Amino acid sequence: MSRSVLLARANLRKARGQAAVIVVLILLAALLLNLWLWLSMDYRQNFERCHDRLHAQHVTLAVDNVSGEMREHLIETMEGDEHTDAYTLDSVLQAAGVFAHNGGEVNHDFIILQQQEAFSRTIGRAEVVEEDSRIKSGVYMPVLYQSDEIAVGKTVTISFGSISRTYTVRGFFNSVMAGSHNCGLCELILTPDLYEELKGSGCATGATLCSVRLTDREEAEDYETMLKNAAAAKDPAAFAASNSYALVSRSRYISQMICSGIMSAMAFFILLIALVVIVSNIMNFIQEDMRNLGALKAVGYTSRQLVAAFLLQFEGITLAAAAAGAALSYGLFPYVNKMMVSQTGIPYEVHFLPLPLLITLFILGGAVAAAVWLAARRVRDIEPIVALRQGMQTHNFVHNYVALERTRTPLSLALALKTAIAGWKYNVTIGVTMMVLTLVVVFSGMMLENVIVDMTPFLSLVVGETADSSVGIQAECEEEFLRVMGEEPQVESLYLFHMRAVSHVGGLELVATICDDFSELKYQQLIVEGRFPKFENEIAVAVKYAGEHRLKVGDEITMTAGGKEADFIICGFTQISNNLGKDCLLTRGGYGRMGELQTVSYYIDLVQGADVDAFHKEVKERFGRDVVGVTDIKKAFDGAGAVYVSLMRVIVISALVLSLVIITFVLYLLVRTILNHKRRDYGIMKALGYTTGQLVLQTAAGLMPAVVVSTVVGLVVNMWLINPLTAAFLRGIGIVKCSFAVPVGFVAAAGAGIMVFAFAAACLMSLKIRKIAPRSLLAGE
Amino acid sequence: MASTQELTAIFLKEFLRIFKACLKTFKNWNGKIECENEKGGLQMREVLLKTEQLSKSFSNGGVLQHVLKNIDLELYEGDFTVIMGASGAGKSTLLYALSGMDTPTLGTITFHGQVISDMSPDALAVFRRRHCGFVFQQIYLLDGMSIMDNVLAAGLLVSQEKKALVGRAEELFKAVGISQEIQKKFPPQLSGGEAQRAGIVRALINAPEILFADEPTGMLNSKTGLEVLDTLTRCNGRGQSIVMVTHDMRSARRGNRILYLKDGAILGECHLGAYVHNDQERHRKLAGFLEEMGW
Repeated sequence: MSRSVLLARANLRKARGQAAVIVVLILLAALLLNLWLWLSMDYRQNFERCHDRLHAQHVTLAVDNVSGEMREHLIETMEGDEHTDAYTLDSVLQAAGVFAHNGGEVNHDFIILQQQEAFSRTIGRAEVVEEDSRIKSGVYMPVLYQSDEIAVGKTVTISFGSISRTYTVRGFFNSVMAGSHNCGLCELILTPDLYEELKGSGCATGATLCSVRLTDREEAEDYETMLKNAAAAKDPAAFAASNSYALVSRSRYISQMICSGIMSAMAFFILLIALVVIVSNIMNFIQEDMRNLGALKAVGYTSRQLVAAFLLQFEGITLAAAAAGAALSYGLFPYVNKMMVSQTGIPYEVHFLPLPLLITLFILGGAVAAAVWLAARRVRDIEPIVALRQGMQTHNFVHNYVALERTRTPLSLALALKTAIAGWKYNVTIGVTMMVLTLVVVFSGMMLENVIVDMTPFLSLVVGETADSSVGIQAECEEEFLRVMGEEPQVESLYLFHMRAVSHVGGLELVATICDDFSELKYQQLIVEGRFPKFENEIAVAVKYAGEHRLKVGDEITMTAGGKEADFIICGFTQISNNLGKDCLLTRGGYGRMGELQTVSYYIDLVQGADVDAFHKEVKERFGRDVVGVTDIKKAFDGAGAVYVSLMRVIVISALVLSLVIITFVLYLLVRTILNHKRRDYGIMKALGYTTGQLVLQTAAGLMPAVVVSTVVGLVVNMWLINPLTAAFLRGIGIVKCSFAVPVGFVAAAGAGIMVFAFAAACLMSLKIRKIAPRSLLAGE
Repeated sequence: MASTQELTAIFLKEFLRIFKACLKTFKNWNGKIECENEKGGLQMREVLLKTEQLSKSFSNGGVLQHVLKNIDLELYEGDFTVIMGASGAGKSTLLYALSGMDTPTLGTITFHGQVISDMSPDALAVFRRRHCGFVFQQIYLLDGMSIMDNVLAAGLLVSQEKKALVGRAEELFKAVGISQEIQKKFPPQLSGGEAQRAGIVRALINAPEILFADEPTGMLNSKTGLEVLDTLTRCNGRGQSIVMVTHDMRSARRGNRILYLKDGAILGECHLGAYVHNDQERHRKLAGFLEEMGW
């Protein structure tokens, strides 16, 4: 063993540059791996810890019915179910509201609780994150919405229908199951005076809030459906909002899932590049040092000892770099944590995590050990005498590629092509590197085009249809509303786009999007298989849900809403991630077979330049209390999307910078290896009269065929693959098919940029050739 | 007692000898010198390379070693100059300096009157490719290229006329006895003699004004070494200027001018005239010179 250690140390001393490159690659891989493991293991666990600490519910239901009968019915239902562990019933207020956030709007059905009750509930209590007790009268906002504009001591204006209330922010709270707009329910907490004032104003209705802890949280979705159906059976007209542990735990961690997915992909890509570099390095080393290895074998070293030396050398580098990378990741945690908390809304305290570190070391150490062992096995084939005499011939003497006698290419280019063809190991390394980097470029281009520059395609994929405005009105004044809108010059188009909860008998609750005519939708890609429903007996269901319940187009399913059941034929599959793949599409007639719409929502597109706020004001003035709610859809998406845009911007910039760093290091390693390998050839050529400039260009040009081919192939293949890959990546949130536009111009320019950068970097690194003196040949140096 | 006529004849003969000696001593008559040709006649020869006060020092572990000391030397067109000396005398260092592969520490080197000792490395590279050919002891063919490509890689640096270049290469290959089949092979597939002859073709492809050979037979066996020497002799016979470093007397015999280096300075020189095969007198003269030099 000690002999192997000596050999490993000697090898390391000989190849400090290569070792440095491998250290950087492993360090980056470890950094990203540790971040990924932290996000996917402990960050998600933080939700569980918070859930346990606050003794939070697994199912929440808010019904705008505060009658004793409803309470009795709910109690009876819950106590009659074997999965119920504990529950509480609270009287709260419920109202659709809007407030400005992040340059956009948060538009949601809010559950409003009174301060004392909210912080002292036995199940699902909220915890104060920040407060100013000197403020006697005010609102506690979910910590998710904490920003420069919404801060303790500042005011926030919340519009409930046509009435606005301006509250001083007294503090921020954390509620696991109702602390965000993507929980299905979002809480607001008011001091007693304001709560009573709102209750008396009539702009919020009284509601019964039902919080249930289950014996088995896996039953949460079924339990939620059961409880909601029970409430609907008792009072079909009651509005009920609900959520479950499964929905909330998934929806609050979508960004974390995307971010950790990207990090893991980058980490494994970098690891792949590092492995290719290591393998290429070992193979070159064996070729270059054949005589020395032969001599070592001749003096009694066994193949096992030589392989062990390689293992020690690379494992030493890997484990040290991996530990350093993991340590470095702790420096990045606070920044990543800040980004993530702005998405999850659940505070997280950064702390040391031994398990992710161990897994990082294990993955990197194991992968490198396997690669080294596979590459170093060739040492076994070295016969000492053969190696000492001439070394093993590795050149293919059958073909003289790019024969100078016949080729029409200029001399330097022809020699570069010879180098390129002979150096297949370099080409493989470049090929793998460029394939990975082009994937990053294509992904960055796609995100730039579809998220950062214009978010509409991303929003369309996530939420489906969008419009300028959504107006909800009482069903009885629909005719009058349509007549007025038909005469309104600002309105370009309007169509029914109403959402209502329905339940799949034997399945789960789904959010039904109800339209008169689906052909009016702008986003026709909503259907990924089959077609939109046209008739009353047709339904399109979310493809993710269909997959989970083994439903096929043509199958018949039974749906229920408002206490009635009806059978539907599945005519197509849809994809929207807004409800994490629990959606369906119905015609108005189709929904009418189960229940009546008490309110209807219309999506409205206004003429260009129209003021959406002014339009909403006009509608409210014209229809008064018949307006259930108005939403400036773009503003609402802008608010929520701003965080996604900034997150994506950070990811894209980091990925591109990382790509440039990687390509620089890989090229450095390759050029260095080439210079070592061809030192003698360069000496000969300099003696013959080749200038340093010619040899530099020749070396850089020798790498370019692989760079150009792999970049072009990589860009083309990845442009073709990126949408299916993204869909696979987003499958967890209900997306199975992506059709993002890939900006060909950006991708082509970035590809050209990569090639020019690679050439310039290779030229720069090849300048070391100037130190190769021809006289060293004659001196026998 | 000699007659007046006899005295006149002796005087004229002596005058002519002194005049010729003077000419040899003051060799810079327009850079040209009148020398005996192969047939014993006189011909005008141009100075190819000239050194003045050429010195080269190396620092070895902080200790300065003066390898070449103030060498004044002229090399002539058409000469087969052999540089001999004991190991460490500075033979190879002199060869690197003369060929532009290395720059002197002090002094100047001129080629056809143009100073090359202060040229940049790239300018020296251009100088080498245009004016010099090299034959190395270790041959130094590029292993990844066929023999023909090795030759063309040097040739195409100077001439873009590929067809003419290939024709010239084939002529040279034929002249040194390398078949078309061998031309397609790669260096590691060749015997030492074949490889060195291919090396000579590479060195000659650009019709250099001077061919530098560093121990060209050092790595070869007796038979193949002889073949290489014959090739070089034939080249010189066609007017090719050659400077060869060797410590082998058999090789040195091929030269018409022998320079003997000792401790970085030229200790002496010997003129052997044109090479004639099996010339015992030539052999004795060289042996005597070397003995005199302390060989």
